[in-house]
Amino acid sequence: MTTKKLLTLALSALMISATAVSVSAATLTDQNPGGQTEVTAHISGSDPHGTVSYKITIPDVVDFGELVQPAANEDSYKTVGYNVSLDEVTGLESGKQISVYVKDQNASIDDDQNFYITNKDNSNISFKYHVFNVPQSQLSEATSINSSTMTKTAGFYLGGFTAPDENVDGTLVINQVQLYGKTLADIAGDYSGYMVFYSAIEDINP
Amino acid sequence: MSKKKNPNAPLMVIMTILAAAIIGCLVGAMLFIPSSDDSKEEKAQGVVGRISDNWDDQVSEDPDASQESGTQIPGYSAASMKEGDTSLLLRVGNPKDNKVGLIATVRLEDGTELYKSPVLEPGQGLEEIPLEKTLKKGEYNAEVYYQCVLLNKEHTPLNAAISAFTLYVD
Repeated sequence: MTTKKLLTLALSALMISATAVSVSAATLTDQNPGGQTEVTAHISGSDPHGTVSYKITIPDVVDFGELVQPAANEDSYKTVGYNVSLDEVTGLESGKQISVYVKDQNASIDDDQNFYITNKDNSNISFKYHVFNVPQSQLSEATSINSSTMTKTAGFYLGGFTAPDENVDGTLVINQVQLYGKTLADIAGDYSGYMVFYSAIEDINP
Repeated sequence: MSKKKNPNAPLMVIMTILAAAIIGCLVGAMLFIPSSDDSKEEKAQGVVGRISDNWDDQVSEDPDASQESGTQIPGYSAASMKEGDTSLLLRVGNPKDNKVGLIATVRLEDGTELYKSPVLEPGQGLEEIPLEKTLKKGEYNAEVYYQCVLLNKEHTPLNAAISAFTLYVD
């Protein structure tokens, strides 16, 4: 009888142990992301969809520096360079390019399309600037990209790239005559403006 | 000569079986339960909605990238999913050579927001994103809006970029 009881006890303990292992395994399956990770890696490796096809570099900030109020009501330009480039590209089909557009963060097709820098303490004070897709040395022969009408929500067309290291060496221009005649105490302060660069794979010469 | 039967023999056998079973369970548990360090490695490989600390854009390396000024922005051609899926395979992240943070918003062209990330520091990203909305079958114009921010306490905004792509829902 004692032996039977002991055998029953032992078998019960074995069953409890086996159940505990199953629960642990189930819990691990739920909490352990390993399975999903492997599937994810497998799918992304065999399907180009969802992968990074290219990388462009944009200026995260463009700084005009100190602006000076001109003494006379005459043009007084200040310029600063910027660069947008294609760093890497993979699997780009023939006849396609990486098109890059740019606009002011608040610009829209139906409303104001200009580029502005705005006083950080008083958003009612802002000044326009122009965007050129050529370096400063070629400004005299160029017109700003925002002298035309923006017809796409993406912005003004800046350039198209097909191979790494192609770039737009551009210039931003602000005419400080906008400051002329204003009370310095009213307009003094820090200004900022934000550009939005839009990129997409499109047919060459869209 | 007759052998004398040991009355404790069954007990010893049972105790041996029990001990073996317990040791077996412990060894099994140690093999299957990941240590805390293993968990970190799993996280770093990227799972739906989890941000990896060693995100790889999987585009070939530019050796000069760390010395260049400006911010690298990933671009895409297409992504695909099935109708009703609650996640999307899309490598969204901040290339490791950048000096600023990126906030990524995945959305349709009409502004419908599908996912918004927290500030991604350089090298952080996701391989698969959870979706706030499921989509019906069709072909959508979609985009990732990358807002550049300073890596300060206020996350001061900088310029932004939009990477457009086609989203196929089967």
